[in-house]
Amino acid sequence: MTSAIVILLDGIAYGMVLFIISVGLTVTMGLMRVVNLAHGGFAMAGGYLAAVMVVAGVPFIVAVIAATAAAGLLGALCELTIFRPLYRKGELAQVLMTFGLTFVMIAALTAMFGTDIKRLPVPDWLGGLVDLGIRPYPTYRLFLIAVGLILALALWLIIDRSLYGAKLRAAVDNPRIARAVGIDVNKLFTITFVGGCALAGFGGIVGAEMLPLEPFYALRYLVLFLVVVAVGGHGSFKGSFFAALTLGIIDTAGKYIWPEISAFIMFTLVFVLLLWRPYGLIPPKAAA
Amino acid sequence: MRIWSTGLCAGAALLALNGMAAADIVKVGVIGVFSGGFARWGEQFKQAIEVYQKHNGDSVNGHKIEILYRDAGGPDPAKARQLAEELILREKVQFLAGFAFTPNALSVAQLITEAKVPTVIFNAATASVTRRSPYFVRVSFTLPQDTAPVAEWAPKNGIKKVVTLVSDYAPGHDAEIQFLKTFKEGGGEIAESIRVPLSTTDFAPFFERVLNQKPDAMFMFGPGGPASVSMINTWASRLKPAGIQLLTTNETQEIDLPRIGKAAIDAIGSSHYTETLDNPLNKKLRSDLVAMFGNDRIPDTATVSAYDGMHLIYQVIAKLGPKFNPDDAMKVMSEMKFDSPRGPIMIDPKTRDIVQNVYLRRVKEQGGRLVNENFHTVPMVKDPWKEANP
Repeated sequence: MTSAIVILLDGIAYGMVLFIISVGLTVTMGLMRVVNLAHGGFAMAGGYLAAVMVVAGVPFIVAVIAATAAAGLLGALCELTIFRPLYRKGELAQVLMTFGLTFVMIAALTAMFGTDIKRLPVPDWLGGLVDLGIRPYPTYRLFLIAVGLILALALWLIIDRSLYGAKLRAAVDNPRIARAVGIDVNKLFTITFVGGCALAGFGGIVGAEMLPLEPFYALRYLVLFLVVVAVGGHGSFKGSFFAALTLGIIDTAGKYIWPEISAFIMFTLVFVLLLWRPYGLIPPKAAA
Repeated sequence: MRIWSTGLCAGAALLALNGMAAADIVKVGVIGVFSGGFARWGEQFKQAIEVYQKHNGDSVNGHKIEILYRDAGGPDPAKARQLAEELILREKVQFLAGFAFTPNALSVAQLITEAKVPTVIFNAATASVTRRSPYFVRVSFTLPQDTAPVAEWAPKNGIKKVVTLVSDYAPGHDAEIQFLKTFKEGGGEIAESIRVPLSTTDFAPFFERVLNQKPDAMFMFGPGGPASVSMINTWASRLKPAGIQLLTTNETQEIDLPRIGKAAIDAIGSSHYTETLDNPLNKKLRSDLVAMFGNDRIPDTATVSAYDGMHLIYQVIAKLGPKFNPDDAMKVMSEMKFDSPRGPIMIDPKTRDIVQNVYLRRVKEQGGRLVNENFHTVPMVKDPWKEANP
């Protein structure tokens, strides 16, 4: 029983990391219809930047905020130079370009840091164990769950309750009509893309314990992020939340129950889910 | 006229003979990994060879030893074989060396037997490799060799119940099978044997299973790199507080300790090379590595294997000269016995595999750094797998 609770908490924590990183991807794929295979690279860049700062003595919270902002800025830069020309060019060009961008990021980080893992030391108040009554449990994982929930709540408030969110949802559902109504869809694109990259960077930083930072991070975990987006449904923030949580919990539980085939359990689940709901748990309105 | 032409011919013959006696170049082809996620394996080989050549010169009796490096890119048997072919046929190397990965070594077995090229293995640790060709000689280690000593030590030292947790691939299986065998022979109880997928990054759920068994210790084997860091950190946060000890082989190498951090303290390792060994050769190796390549250069198993592998090659040239018969070269290498930075080593003439000390060591903090401290040495261990499978 104790183990079941611990596994559940572990699964939720893992799901939260996946959610934080993938929510940016689902929104940009749903909103901008741009296939951004370099998304993992922004998560990685954020993580590395934070690691460098923390090791250099910058206080943890400052480093996290700065690195998140930097990931967003990197996103803005890429959007201006790389993504804008791609909007009209179709999916293949986007896939090729962003894939290439991923390799550039991997090579750049390899040149700067070598191929070994970059550690992101967490401050003492986040490390250590917390007594849950039934068992000591790593504080950091509880922090991850809390952060994930707060972020999910904040994003929901923004998307569901704010004017920006309304415009965003309109542009995702039907960009042409949205433009006709006077919504500046292009500006929306840029702001959202920057936000998505910043979120990815944030996810890369806080998730560094579960997804270790090394140059191949961008490719290694790309499949996971794409799976969350596919299962959740393009453009659906709620979908990505539930998809990430489900996959995180099932994957973690699978490892506990049946270690040898645990890698297959998650992908079998994805396969079944996509058979049942090909456009994701919460499909984009354009496709439904 | 006759005398002139005879004289000319004699003169020419003498000149030709003189040409043959002049210095020859002996080419050694090193197939390592110099790019991608495993680039450390090639880097360590190259640096060790450069230090060896600094200590011993780059020629033997006037014959230059030329090292040709080729990049296999990772575990890629097809590429390794292609590189070996190029080195043997085009560059006419007289030795092959390197091979971080077992599949890469195995792919050249048939080739080197046909071409009769002595091949010194600097890493590939699966036990059966040296049997695949009479021209293989290994100076690194085998997994069973590093595993058996800790499996033997544990039941005699209060560790009666163990859960093994290994990565699900050939070296992991090697380690698991050897540990199970030796630990049970010593009277220990194996509560469970878990094999985890090679791609795993989050080990928490697997360790939860281990915790439920309430063992005295966990024997672990991982592929190095991200997985080891994650495994040891998870052990420290989940199992160490419950009093479960960690038994590993090479996961706690000094070169990885800064990345793992203080979580590694008190982890037990069982390895053929402890970086803090006090002998003069090791001290010189460490200080030269730092002098030549920077302050954070730490030797590891790849370093000493490459260093000692070069010694084998140099000895062949010293004893047989640059134009040697490959079978004689294999004989010379199989009978070698010498001091290495890791202690006394020898090659077993029956198996062409290495026989060496295995050190049981604990991770400790010393002078602000994390190092391995030996507490038990098992001398001159032969590969137990070959002993058990003649």
